[in-house]
Amino acid sequence: MKIAYTHLLSHIQEKPSIEMVSDNLFQLGHEHEVEGNVFNMEFTPNRGDCLSINGLLRDLAVFYTVNLDQKKYSENIDKLKIDFENLSQDICPQISFLKLEIDNIPDTYKGYLNDYFIDLNINKNNFFTDISNYISYETGQPTHCYDANKVNGKLIFQELNTNQEFETLLDKKINLTDKNSVFLLNNEVINLAGVVGGKRTSCSSETKTVLVECAFFKPEKIIGKSVKYDIQSEASHKFERSVDPACHETVMRRFINLVSEHSNIKKMSFVSYKFGDITAHKIPVNVSKINQIIGINISEDEYLSYLLKLGFTIDNALITVPSYRSDIETQNDLAEEVARAIGYNNILKKELTIPKGKISNNYDIENKLRYFLLDQGFYEVINSPFVNSSSDVSIKVDNPLDSNREYLRTNIISSLLDNLIFNERRQKDSIKLFEISDVYTSKDSQINRIRRLSIIASGRAGHNYEDFSKKINIKHLTKLFRKVLPGENFDFQILDRDSTKTKIKNEIIGCEVDISNFSTEVLNYKEISKSPDNFIQYCPISELPYSQRDLSFSIKDHTKCKPLEKFILEYDDELLKKVFLFDYFYNEKNAEIKIGFRFVFQSTDITITETQVNKIMSVIIDHAKKIDGISIPGLN
Amino acid sequence: MSASKDITPPELIKERGSLHPINHMKDSIMNLLVSFGFEIVDGPEIETEEFNFDMLNIKKSHPARQMHDTFYVENKSNLLRTHTSPVQIRGMLERKPPLAFISGGKVYRKDDDATHLPMFHQVEGIFVDENVSFAQLKDLIYKILYSLFGRDVQLRFRPSYFPFTEPSAEVDILSREGKWLEILGCGLVNPVVLENCNIDSNKYSGLAFGLGIERIAMLKHGVTDIREFYKSNLDFLNQFK
Repeated sequence: MKIAYTHLLSHIQEKPSIEMVSDNLFQLGHEHEVEGNVFNMEFTPNRGDCLSINGLLRDLAVFYTVNLDQKKYSENIDKLKIDFENLSQDICPQISFLKLEIDNIPDTYKGYLNDYFIDLNINKNNFFTDISNYISYETGQPTHCYDANKVNGKLIFQELNTNQEFETLLDKKINLTDKNSVFLLNNEVINLAGVVGGKRTSCSSETKTVLVECAFFKPEKIIGKSVKYDIQSEASHKFERSVDPACHETVMRRFINLVSEHSNIKKMSFVSYKFGDITAHKIPVNVSKINQIIGINISEDEYLSYLLKLGFTIDNALITVPSYRSDIETQNDLAEEVARAIGYNNILKKELTIPKGKISNNYDIENKLRYFLLDQGFYEVINSPFVNSSSDVSIKVDNPLDSNREYLRTNIISSLLDNLIFNERRQKDSIKLFEISDVYTSKDSQINRIRRLSIIASGRAGHNYEDFSKKINIKHLTKLFRKVLPGENFDFQILDRDSTKTKIKNEIIGCEVDISNFSTEVLNYKEISKSPDNFIQYCPISELPYSQRDLSFSIKDHTKCKPLEKFILEYDDELLKKVFLFDYFYNEKNAEIKIGFRFVFQSTDITITETQVNKIMSVIIDHAKKIDGISIPGLN
Repeated sequence: MSASKDITPPELIKERGSLHPINHMKDSIMNLLVSFGFEIVDGPEIETEEFNFDMLNIKKSHPARQMHDTFYVENKSNLLRTHTSPVQIRGMLERKPPLAFISGGKVYRKDDDATHLPMFHQVEGIFVDENVSFAQLKDLIYKILYSLFGRDVQLRFRPSYFPFTEPSAEVDILSREGKWLEILGCGLVNPVVLENCNIDSNKYSGLAFGLGIERIAMLKHGVTDIREFYKSNLDFLNQFK
């Protein structure tokens, strides 16, 4: 909601700067952006009372001398005779109607009304709707204006099951379904209560006789309607957050005043219906409780002075909560009021000591497994549980984001298979992934939760010179895992590659094991990998293709082996993404070492070219060729 | 030229994998909190409305309960937890004060864009004892954020609203660029919630806090698009060793 700084300032005696008001608003918990002279406010949902000039001023009164002195019509008003029936009094316990007839429709506006449209750059509509909109901005109470000449029959308020088309005053046709709170005229919906009025009875630029409706609706009956019917209205935003049930006459008298400032009122009449009592909420004065909750030590006088400034009244050791503060019910609520007034940042911290708790064993087994897998070169992934396929034990999401994600997965391995294919398509030739997650299934309305480890691997066993030429298969993984965790059964399987639609022929090996199947022997595993001490700064990933080059060297002077290795492995170029030693062989017959390096190139902005790669390779080759005792077969 | 006899093979470099950065961040925060004295408690991701909303004082009218915000399953008989707070309810029902425990894990909301995903991670903690105050909550939050961001970090506490805490606060940190960034929510446990868990709110009070793991991980690692965390791209994961 946008609120102009100048509109607040005209009611604040001290005339604080916009920066001071901004700081005050943050202290009170009212987030906002300052856009020129306008506060773009974002209120928490419990503070519907602040959605107006007066609402914000009531809160700012804790810092300043605030005058809520807008003029109101103060004379007696004739009683309105209206054919109205409230058939859902529990939803609308209070409603008022004002009927006004004016002489002429003004061409221009003045005073606050004019400032509202100019300062907030708001488009005008018609006279009465404009007044209604301004009244909502100033007081927080939405009102609805019917063209009185179009309301010719019995008006009924009712929550009912409807299935009829309704055209809003914004020219939008919506189909009302299920339960809605509506106003009916001759059995036709003319107003979706608390959300938007109808076109049939709306005011126009010709309207001279208006019927103004001012109501309190139970928020829970309004919530969800604007989203359901895709109607963003300020009224629904306010009604959803609750309005002041005791403000009707004040609001209507202010309405009359604004109209009278712009036109001669020929006739006016007013009626207010109350269906049940609205009793003020009272809370005992208990400053020691407030001090205990916040952790401060203020006097009762100081405590009550904050509440008085915020509009609370105190009588006989009881605090009466203002009618517009539906969010205040308990001592904790009052403590928050005091803390806001003092400022959360001004409350000094107090040392907190917590006795040591227990540490769960399951997490240790899980963590040991994770670090064991890290040591074997596996990467941990996390996948969304939403999938499009189902089995007879799948759990269905009632309201999925889309039809491709309407079930919860019943296994993890299918997600890992997708991850593997994703990486194969990015030219990865050695892929090892794992995920530990809960998996949920349903049988006979019973939801079953199992914590599982799933592992998938394919391609080269690794990139070092021992593993490079080995392919991942069941034998390889079983041997690797049994060597370290001999007592655990991983039960590796070859996964079907047919559904992956890739040309790669490497076997895909995977397994999925319940965490509960692992024994406490896992706890004896001594991990090599360590969790990083620092939080590494991420470099954006390139989606462009790689280019690879292999280079083999024959080395007769073995003392040159290490310097060559050092030079190549430490060679730095922004296009050289990775280099590793993939081949090593010592030929005893001629005492010659053969050593091979793979260079992987990738650019972050354009597809890398042969020329770029050759240029870097030339520098490396030229350097190597200068080393005595080293030759490059095929090049020398 | 005479050849050297040193034929020591080159170092055999075994490639290590990496923890997922979100799990690493979650572990880091949970380990920190365990070092403060909190116990780890676990709970299911499929929850009832009672535990996810009712017991936490989230009224039927609260927008979070709408179908457009919460994933419901099995004909609305259950839901995917929208926060880790139901674990606090389960933990409080199973224990007697004084109690201090944390829970971490996946939570679900109907969002899907560059800064929100339908699945994300939270860590929450609760401490209930006699005379727990907002000033003590501040002390704990300072300790957590000093540990995560260093003692030079500037903090700002702002009043906020959560149905399960009162008073409630959001805490911002000042970024290097001079912008305040929201980092966690916290507050004193609403007495209604304590009473729902059979804890005498006249005798006991509690503090609670919750952190969004992805938000902190994005800040700490400089990741700007939350979706990067869940593509399982080895080029991405390989950076977090």
